[in-house]
Amino acid sequence: MFLAAFTSRGPREVPLDATLLTSLLQKDVSAFEQLYDRHSRLVYGLVLRILQQASTSEEVVQDVFLQLWRNADQYDSSRGPFVPWLCTMARNRALDHLRLKSERQRRREDLPDELPSAVVAPDYEKALDEKRRAERVRALMASLSPQQKKAIELAYFEGLSHSEIAATLKEPLGTVKSWIRNGLLRLKEGLQATT
Amino acid sequence: MKNCDQFRELIEAYALGALDLEDRAALEAHLATGCAECAKAVEEARWLVSQLAYTAPQADPSDMLKGRLMQTVRAEAEAQTKPRVMPAKSAIPFWLWAGVAALLVFSIYSAWNASRLQTEIREANSRAATLAEERQKVEQQLAAAKLEAKILMDPSSVKIMLPGSDATGPQLEAKWHSQLGIVVMGEKIPMPSPHHVLQLWFIPKAPGMKPMPSMMSWPDANGKFVMLVSNPPESMDATKAIAITEEPEGGSPWPTTTPLWVGGVS
Repeated sequence: MFLAAFTSRGPREVPLDATLLTSLLQKDVSAFEQLYDRHSRLVYGLVLRILQQASTSEEVVQDVFLQLWRNADQYDSSRGPFVPWLCTMARNRALDHLRLKSERQRRREDLPDELPSAVVAPDYEKALDEKRRAERVRALMASLSPQQKKAIELAYFEGLSHSEIAATLKEPLGTVKSWIRNGLLRLKEGLQATT
Repeated sequence: MKNCDQFRELIEAYALGALDLEDRAALEAHLATGCAECAKAVEEARWLVSQLAYTAPQADPSDMLKGRLMQTVRAEAEAQTKPRVMPAKSAIPFWLWAGVAALLVFSIYSAWNASRLQTEIREANSRAATLAEERQKVEQQLAAAKLEAKILMDPSSVKIMLPGSDATGPQLEAKWHSQLGIVVMGEKIPMPSPHHVLQLWFIPKAPGMKPMPSMMSWPDANGKFVMLVSNPPESMDATKAIAITEEPEGGSPWPTTTPLWVGGVS
């Protein structure tokens, strides 16, 4: 199912997001619908992974896409690709919701901006289409040690901090920091090597 | 760049949102110094972290979600693209017109009421002035009547009879009090000619002195005649007689007609 989301899109479709976003600025409903159809599965899957509840996840996804519709001008296409920006916004919203629900507001400020102006892509990213990147990311994550993968997932999908992860996994703080840093660097190197 | 190396270890975790407060504050303080290399590293780390979204199993949201979204989006698009149709009648709501009308009616009523009240106040003041005038007149009449009564009743008053020039006609009677004044009165006294008045004269004893003019009055409709002189000559002894003539209205400085009544002062 995961790969199916990308099999219908080829490299030539990548610039389509930019075209659709240009139309979206003109309040083109059809462009919005195409963007939703292209990315709603990815966004919903991410939010559902974080919140673990379908109805709440749909509320968050609805909020994310309405923000896109109403504030499309906040996305600066010249600074980075659209999908990472959209996913960053969706993750932030979902984690906000999760923290509100679990009354862990104290870490709310630790999050990046709710509506990032852009998620700047490194040079090597441009040569990789989404299908291949998705496959590669999943493969690279699968190659990490279970501890590295678990620590990164706790941080990314549950919004936990180093010390919270250490407490959850009952591992030393320094070890957790190393797992996360080394795991992300390995992911980065893997993506660079892919190009 | 040694300094930067210390923070480079934090950048990936910072982009992930995993830094604890102390580390996060330290890194942000460093970024605030304007370190371009670390800032670029943070941006790239954010992109790297965003790639983790692909590790979540993709899932299909319900058709209802898309339906709700598209309904909202279409409605907002229509609201933004359609020219706003101004109300045909007026941009001012009916309730505001009603309020203005009510205010206008109230203002007109208030103005009319104020005018009416002012008129009533003026009329009341006029009535009060008339009543005060009448009261003053009554008080004056009362005071005069009291004075007349005192003069008439006081035993020191000197009685003076004024027989008429017509022996068959009515006569007048006067009482002269040296301090209070003189009262002249009579019954069935004929009304003087139109535009004429009955005037009292004091005729001095001294030879060659002209009669001194005094009060003027008329008998009432029943012919009753009463005249009060509150300021007679100081000395009764210097007066030879008192007389009444008919003079033009407003009086005369000297007699112009033959006296109708004359009474000697003894």
